[in-house]
Amino acid sequence: MRRPGWRVEPAAAPRADRASRALAYAPEDGAFSLVNDYSEGMSVLAPGGPDPAFDTPWAVWRTAAGAARPHALAPAPEVEGYGVFTFPYGPLSMGVPEAGRFDVRTYGERVLNLVPVGGFKSRRVRAAVVGQTVVDAALRVERLAGNFSAAHVAAFLDAVESAEGRAVPTEEWWVRGLAQELQRIYNHVHVIARVAEAASQNVGLAQTHALAEEVLRTQGAVFGHRWLFGALLPGGPARRLDPTDRRALATRLGRLGDEFERLWRLFLESRTFVDRIQGTCPVARDAAVEWGAVGPTLRASGVAWDDRLRIPVAPYTDLFLPLPHESGGDALARVATRAEEVRASFLVLEQMLERWPAAGAGDEPPGSAVAPGRGLGRVEAPSGDLVYDVRVAAGRVVGLDLRSPSQANWPLFAAGMRDAVFTDFHFAFESFGFAFAETDG
Amino acid sequence: MASWIEQSVSRGILTSRYPKAAATDDETPPTGRPPVPESPATSLPAARDRCPVGAITETAVDQGKCIRCARCVGAGLSFSGSVEAATRSRSDLLRISAGPTPVPDGAPPLAGLGRSLHLFLVDVGSCNACNLEVLALANPYYDLQRLGIFFTNSPRHADVLVVVGVPTAEMVEPLRRAYDALPAPKAVVAVGACPISGGVFAGTEGLASALDGLVPVDVYVPGCPPTPTAILDGLLKLNGRDRETREGRR
Repeated sequence: MRRPGWRVEPAAAPRADRASRALAYAPEDGAFSLVNDYSEGMSVLAPGGPDPAFDTPWAVWRTAAGAARPHALAPAPEVEGYGVFTFPYGPLSMGVPEAGRFDVRTYGERVLNLVPVGGFKSRRVRAAVVGQTVVDAALRVERLAGNFSAAHVAAFLDAVESAEGRAVPTEEWWVRGLAQELQRIYNHVHVIARVAEAASQNVGLAQTHALAEEVLRTQGAVFGHRWLFGALLPGGPARRLDPTDRRALATRLGRLGDEFERLWRLFLESRTFVDRIQGTCPVARDAAVEWGAVGPTLRASGVAWDDRLRIPVAPYTDLFLPLPHESGGDALARVATRAEEVRASFLVLEQMLERWPAAGAGDEPPGSAVAPGRGLGRVEAPSGDLVYDVRVAAGRVVGLDLRSPSQANWPLFAAGMRDAVFTDFHFAFESFGFAFAETDG
Repeated sequence: MASWIEQSVSRGILTSRYPKAAATDDETPPTGRPPVPESPATSLPAARDRCPVGAITETAVDQGKCIRCARCVGAGLSFSGSVEAATRSRSDLLRISAGPTPVPDGAPPLAGLGRSLHLFLVDVGSCNACNLEVLALANPYYDLQRLGIFFTNSPRHADVLVVVGVPTAEMVEPLRRAYDALPAPKAVVAVGACPISGGVFAGTEGLASALDGLVPVDVYVPGCPPTPTAILDGLLKLNGRDRETREGRR
């Protein structure tokens, strides 16, 4: 039996060094909380739901899960005063090219309070997959957030396989790893391009944007689809890489990696770029732990936690994976963490392509089920820890719930923007790598 | 500063020759092309039951529904249609064959739209892939400004709404208001299977109708998501510039 990645406790006792509220969420039946214990490097699964003492963030996620009508994604203290008004930004704007709104309390230049409002683009994916076969449900899951499709499908399938107790060929795990690392590189490069755009680094933007396009084309060349739709479907057209394909891909990735090194060095030498994001939208370590930040946001605030290392599955069990982290907690730290992770992903891909398992390399045992017919899947998506809770019966999905990295990080963006100025908005927003699509579901 | 210049010069010109030359394979992975039947009479009935979105009937493939999932590939269909599959009418999406889809003679360029277009992106409930493909048009590989096409920050400054996503109930009102804010002459381009037919989410409770039930649609760009080249084709079909570029092709 594969290491489950968590330890079961009767109740997740609150402790200072635990992100006690981090992964608490409420599926329709049988609430539980999944808590990261940073001192022991282990997650704790506590059936019966989270401690009611922690009820603010809990309430936030409870509303966020599946609610369709526009709703706040982060709590905000009341702000009143002379000339204070609410400035609504969105749901349609080209600055944030996604449907979502930000209610900004302000008297002019300064942001007194900012509330991200989601729910505009809820496609009711959770409802749409109920009753579907696993393979049909996966078509919807990969379209839940197109730029994070590999992570979502990988987490979904992991949950299904755990629920069904089904082993999966090692090679298929490696294909999932390959797809996820490529998509991580794309998303991180895209975030850097967006921050460069906000900082008016036009040459840097064009060059980084071109690199992102080259990653999409690489994904298209390997998997036949620029966004990896269909790449990881169970029993579907999962790609087999023969030695010639692997050599060609390794050469191509080598070029992209060199190109990224050149660009990142130029960005670090660009004072206007670094100055603009340094100190912007800070997230302190304590706040990150208390609110349960995930991914580059958590790591940029000084907590070295990555699901690929803490809950290792193939192929990460066999590879050297650096764990970049920073201590600044600001937009610069988040962007720098992402840049280091791009390097780490290129390194992982290089190792993968050298050590690709043979087609008959055997099976990986499934994770342990939470309950009969119910499994959890967790992967480190580009923006952080992604949790799927799937219930299956007779090959069909009976229920699905998920906690996306965007959902976890919204409150920290809102808190970091307090007392900032309007012009900080885009640097701050882009550095988190949010997607309303995965928040709304 | 000097090093950024060195960087730019060392990379040279990346920009695609499209639309003056046909789209390359690097720009278009297999799923960037519509699936077309090898022999309609036998392939379509054989592949019909494989389609998860009901795009295949006995007589045609509805490219407006197709999500390019490739299940029909190997059952008599192949991704061999033209990238230039955008149409001016919904029904033409059922008549796509291997060649580029020409704008029918009965549908001239939209009156009043000149050679230059200003776009405003409207997301009514997408997965983000279409948004990012539309934005990718600004990268050096596609460089849509060379064709006189620009993004604007307000619908008041735009000629064209580029709509992505399956319309959710919550986005109907913002969509209508954006449409009303466009100065005439105005146009709407539906990008991807979602706005055209609901795509993979068609029929889910709580979603509004397809886009053309909400605002008039002038160009349909099929795909899930359509590649940047396919979106560019759709934009050029709005003001008739696709013909001049295609005729000039060798």
